[in-house]
Amino acid sequence: MTSGTVILLTGILCAMACALPGTFLILRRMAMMTDAISHAILPGLVFGYWLANSPNLLVGAVGATGAAILTVSLVEALQRTRRVGGSEAMGIVFPAMFALGTILISRYFSNVHLDTDAILYGNIEFSAFERLVIGGDDLGPQSLWVMSILLIVNIGVLTLLYKELKISTFDPALTQSLGFNPILIHYLLMLLLSITTVGAFTAVGAILVVALVIVPAATAYLLTDRLIEMMVGSAIIGALAAIGGYWLAMWIDGSIAGGIVTMAGLFFALALLFSPQQGLVAQRRQAHLNRQRFALDMLVMHLYTHERTADEYSESSLGHIGAALHWNPDQAMRTIGRAVDRGMVVRANGNVVLTEQGRHYVQRLSVMDRVRSE
Amino acid sequence: MSTLHDLIFDYTLRNVALGGMLLGIVAGVLGAFAVLRQQALLGDSLSHAALPGICIAFMITGSRESLVLLIGAGIAGWIGTWILLRTVNATKLSEDTMLGVVLSVFFGVGILLLTYIQQTNNANQAGLDKYLFGQAASLIARDVWTFAILGTASLAIVVLFYKEFKLLSFDPEFLASLGLPQRRLDLALTSLLVVAVMIGLQTVGVVLMAAMVIGPGTAARQWTDNLRTMLMLSGLFGGLAGLIGAVISVQASHLPTGPSIILTLTIIVVASILFAPRHGIVAEWWRNRARRAAFQAALESGERPS
Amino acid sequence: MGTKMQHPIDERAAVTVHDLTVAYREDPVLWDIDLSIPTGSLTAIIGPNGAGKSTLMKAILGLVPPAAGTVEIFGHTSERQRRLVGYVPQRGSVDWQFPTNALDVVTMGTYGQLGWIRRPGKAEKQRALAALDQMGMADFADRQISQLSGGQQQRVFLARALVQDAQLYFMDEPFVGVDARTEAAIIELLKSLRDHGKTVVVVHHDLDSAPNYFDHVVLLNVQKIASGPMAETFTTENIERTYGPSKSARTKVAAS
Repeated sequence: MTSGTVILLTGILCAMACALPGTFLILRRMAMMTDAISHAILPGLVFGYWLANSPNLLVGAVGATGAAILTVSLVEALQRTRRVGGSEAMGIVFPAMFALGTILISRYFSNVHLDTDAILYGNIEFSAFERLVIGGDDLGPQSLWVMSILLIVNIGVLTLLYKELKISTFDPALTQSLGFNPILIHYLLMLLLSITTVGAFTAVGAILVVALVIVPAATAYLLTDRLIEMMVGSAIIGALAAIGGYWLAMWIDGSIAGGIVTMAGLFFALALLFSPQQGLVAQRRQAHLNRQRFALDMLVMHLYTHERTADEYSESSLGHIGAALHWNPDQAMRTIGRAVDRGMVVRANGNVVLTEQGRHYVQRLSVMDRVRSE
Repeated sequence: MSTLHDLIFDYTLRNVALGGMLLGIVAGVLGAFAVLRQQALLGDSLSHAALPGICIAFMITGSRESLVLLIGAGIAGWIGTWILLRTVNATKLSEDTMLGVVLSVFFGVGILLLTYIQQTNNANQAGLDKYLFGQAASLIARDVWTFAILGTASLAIVVLFYKEFKLLSFDPEFLASLGLPQRRLDLALTSLLVVAVMIGLQTVGVVLMAAMVIGPGTAARQWTDNLRTMLMLSGLFGGLAGLIGAVISVQASHLPTGPSIILTLTIIVVASILFAPRHGIVAEWWRNRARRAAFQAALESGERPS
Repeated sequence: MGTKMQHPIDERAAVTVHDLTVAYREDPVLWDIDLSIPTGSLTAIIGPNGAGKSTLMKAILGLVPPAAGTVEIFGHTSERQRRLVGYVPQRGSVDWQFPTNALDVVTMGTYGQLGWIRRPGKAEKQRALAALDQMGMADFADRQISQLSGGQQQRVFLARALVQDAQLYFMDEPFVGVDARTEAAIIELLKSLRDHGKTVVVVHHDLDSAPNYFDHVVLLNVQKIASGPMAETFTTENIERTYGPSKSARTKVAAS
């Protein structure tokens, strides 16, 4: 395998592994927990390296996972004091952990081969050169092994717990009554997130982990409402971002992690703009159509409300309608024209009069009549 | 004594200490509002979002002047916040998700630009990456002056519109019913937070800024039930953490300033939660103990406990 | 009839709403409301959940933009008449953990008269204390607001409105989650305000107490169903038209 292939594969596997738990984190409104964990594992990683006396991946990962669990526990303990809110607790714990890690590195372990920049944006560039060597046998690039195992673990756990995660995400109370412990499910997810973060962190850095967990899942959420589609979609989007980001980084000769995140951000922006339902463009078009329909509704409702009242005549005059409904003359004429086209109203001597068809239409709109017929 | 002497006469120490203190005061006061308005992690998103602004400002102007770069940072931070609020309003994505999206995407773009600048512009790029982790030692007197002016202006605005900001934070609907411009005041307060983040980038860096915004206000809240006192304490705690953390880091070797400030601040926060009179955990425990003892005594004397 | 004699209604309307439609993202919450609330009346806005009661109030106050229609307060736009209007939002709309005490919250009622930048001084504090006293809350002036019971919090909110010294008061569900003593105190206050010529508009959801508390009523369910003096308007037929026949029966049973 060429070095480029290894990097690309590492990126793709990493993106897919991160995206899967991301789906549940987003739906549970816990996305920022990823940010907290990915920063807070630093001191654990340093501690692990120190124990192993080398950048030993396994010991480092154990230390980092410990730090991640410690972070989750500290955040929740702080919340339980009822003196600190959830986001405040996160915003206090993770910088403290990160600061501790940075100080440990620069003060005691400047020899542990942990570049501070790499903490933030990783060194996926070198993934081909770090080999997994067991008993003298070179089993290939370490990162590929790590990411593959991570992906398999994530797929396995999420498949096994799919049903439980699904109901506990949408209805924690129901979960409890069905005999599942939502707190246990919560901690399992946190554990999975911690392992994923640790595994991905060593290859691609803290911020890329956050991006790969949150952004593809958020993009998929803009495109679909179905949980399973969202999970598969986020994995695909993550993989595409890894491929696109790799080429982008090659092209401008910049950081590959930065390229992958930029690509993921681009996909997110595209979904945000052009998603058929949630997209801003679709929303704008829908709002325009709604406004037209709504204007029509307002017109007939206005006429209907004042029908057979003392002020019926003045309220239905062309001049008054525009003023009452906040329309400029042009808008008023267009809307009245549309209503005439649909046979809902007719114009008579500068007044607008409901037709039988218009009355029928408005009665379906009218809540008053809906209630009456209940 | 020698610390005090150095503080006055040592150029680096003076700048670092003053920079850290100014940052602490401004971020403390404005962060307190963010905490009260349940926007605690906005500071985290904002500071990450600032990175591409720094890079683009450098790419356009070629200048390494902090003010120029910080203005770029401020604009990018602002755009990030705007996208965040806009998207949360318009789509089903939650605020929590959008905080993460804005934070990581803006930062990723920033990293891409930063590495791009490093490749193409080797001679001149030195110093941009100091905004990642902060590099207080690089502060020059000019920077400190810039911070002082920005900070004083921000605090002056808070003092001037204290009454309006208080009502905005407590009961925005009532504020609007009085005819005060809710959205413009909201905009003003968020912009001031952007300024606080701008001041912090060079001293504590992108990552640790979250704590500078959240920590002092959270600590101050434990000591008082009065907003004015809380804001002053928040500024005080922030300023103290900035000053002490900076001095320790310069005096000790191999102790980066940002983390030193943040750990000092964390100690203040934890101590406040534990030991603050009335609200503190220890005080509560003590009260409960006294209550239990009184209850026990009443039981033993055969009276009905009230 | 008796109440009408005791409280002569000023023919000038305090609030005139004409063709008001409010929509959230083009979904109508209020449909073409025509309404007039007489000066010096104690008016309840009544309707089922989601009927747009609070929205009607906010639209009159200018807090939500109308899609169509106009609102006038004493003959002018609500923008111009802010000083004449006092507002009591729903108690649940604010964070009661906010670091402030009862007196300070009540003092906020003077902010409108103070205008920009000027701080409340001794005179404002005095008025706030007097209003707290009027609500029987003088002993709690220094109390942190989270330390107050639901009823006490509501009284603090009412004291804040009193300080506004308005001609026209809007109150959003002031009876929700308060004890019986506070409920009695509130209704006494509302009646005394009316007796001093003020107009009071209250979002209310308890059908049973409504006829005893209020002299005018607006029945609302997205559209205006009926409005006018309580005795003539609050009929079984109109209530059924507001809630639906089965529902109104259920509501009445549940409320009693």
